[in-house]
Amino acid sequence: MTVTTAPLTFTGRSREEWLRKPALPDSQLVNTGIYTSSAMHEEEMDRIWGKVWLPVCHESELPEPLDFRTTGIGGNKPIVVVRGTDGRIRTFLNICPHRNNLIVRAAAGSLKQAEPSGNPNHMTCMYHGWQFDAQGRCVEIPREKAGYQDRLCKEQLSLMEIRTEVAFGGMVWVNLDDQGRESLTDYLAGSLDAMRDQLETEPLEIFHYQKSIVRCNYKLFFDTSREFYHDFLHFHNRQTSMVKPGYFEQKYTEYPNGHSVTGFTTVDYTSHTGAAKRLLTFPGLPANGWRHTTIFPASAYNIRTSCLRINVMIPLSERETLVEIRGLGLKRDTPEERAQRVRDYNSVWGPFGWNLHEDLLCAQTQTQAIKPGSGATWNLMARVEDNKVHDEVCVRSYYAEWERRMGRRASECLAGAQQA
Amino acid sequence: MNAVPYEVMQALQVLVYRSCTTMNEERWSEYLALCDPQAFRYQVLTYSPEIRREQCWADRDFRAMKSAFDLLPRHNSDRSRLTRHVVVQHADYDAATRRARVETQLTIYRTQIDGTMSYIESGQTTLYAIGRYEDEIGLDEDGTARLLARTVRLETRQLDIGSHKPF
Repeated sequence: MTVTTAPLTFTGRSREEWLRKPALPDSQLVNTGIYTSSAMHEEEMDRIWGKVWLPVCHESELPEPLDFRTTGIGGNKPIVVVRGTDGRIRTFLNICPHRNNLIVRAAAGSLKQAEPSGNPNHMTCMYHGWQFDAQGRCVEIPREKAGYQDRLCKEQLSLMEIRTEVAFGGMVWVNLDDQGRESLTDYLAGSLDAMRDQLETEPLEIFHYQKSIVRCNYKLFFDTSREFYHDFLHFHNRQTSMVKPGYFEQKYTEYPNGHSVTGFTTVDYTSHTGAAKRLLTFPGLPANGWRHTTIFPASAYNIRTSCLRINVMIPLSERETLVEIRGLGLKRDTPEERAQRVRDYNSVWGPFGWNLHEDLLCAQTQTQAIKPGSGATWNLMARVEDNKVHDEVCVRSYYAEWERRMGRRASECLAGAQQA
Repeated sequence: MNAVPYEVMQALQVLVYRSCTTMNEERWSEYLALCDPQAFRYQVLTYSPEIRREQCWADRDFRAMKSAFDLLPRHNSDRSRLTRHVVVQHADYDAATRRARVETQLTIYRTQIDGTMSYIESGQTTLYAIGRYEDEIGLDEDGTARLLARTVRLETRQLDIGSHKPF
């Protein structure tokens, strides 16, 4: 018997064709290895996350002297943000210099309340009872002289302090690079100027906090914050934004250091079934107005009518990201105004909102598709539409900044990283 | 000790359990039929130790709840099934107004249909959220119980990627 093999007649691409680098400029391609490489992640933590200003919480989360807030920043560094008795907010690495125990365990609180083995007004390491004041000074070492004689003393054992500024709507920003000279204002390079009236006219206050450990590389979720070609993902946006005259004329403006601003627009919420007309707004923002700024490497300010949403991402590894999402209104809100802001916020965002769930779902399914060995190799960011809303310039500019800081092309194949 | 009449307690329990079975089986219209169209208010509340205040994650009236159900097929949702296990723990009843307050412990399991990669995760069940229902329930003259308000008070504050489906 003779067995004959018919020639391949694929209608799709062959494996070789699929893997071939698309005929596009390098600036319009990302090799998916940069989302999956643990070595690349470590390098990012050093070259990017260790050098830039990062928002970590809002000042209204620690309103009183001796209030504190703990969180983490790039590379799993635990930090504690403390408001001193002088009212100033400072940030410290939340690690005891003695045996490297975590010092402050609660997510937030007041140092006025003493720990079981410490004094009030101090941060106490429960392990051996070392205590630190709100300025990071070591103020108590049990049996100090007996153990260390004159070899070590409290004055040499303060906490590691981290550069901190409170600005742009009362966010607390930190920078791990204490040799750096770039101020926060210089780093943001005017990217939040268009929101100045909304952020600076009067004090803001947090009313909504959501966190989620998302099984994706932080850049993948941040990509969805940068571009609005993905409005097709959201039924809500198709109904409320894309139908508005002028939607396709919105333009992105790129700023130094990789920040991006989406052109101002208004949204017709009433065209989404069940949605109420939005009247409440922010100072200087027209009714139904929308302003949006994304800040390198992974945070965003987003004002939709009555709510300011601020996203902060904390990369946990190359495949896991802690996403913190805050909703803010005006500190002087009446109870009725605040309730309205909460309703507006939850309709789109929040764990039960229409859009956020879809964004997070998409980031996770994309992560599954680009696992090493899956066959995924190239992310395209090649849409060019005069910087208008479906142009992928805002993703290209992000990776241009990433390349500048990492000293390599995002389109390069990485040794030991993802290959199909 | 509150002395809720046996028949009333039965009606309250049946309502709470039925509200869960209809939601579990995604029979949304049958769930809505258990709610008072004029009075119904649905809220999800949780205390955040991070910001040290109670926060609201959903606040809907009957109309908003109905439109949310109606729009579900239009959205890209995680289609995992949610299974609500509940135990009614406490009820207070005011015979004069024919109104009751009922507290119910809530456990929600999630069974992946798609997961994030259907051929790997589909079929997996995990504990998704815990909390309690605080219900206000009215009884009609004929003894029919209707949900006037439901507050879902969540202990769980990390809900993975969130949910388009209410709890």
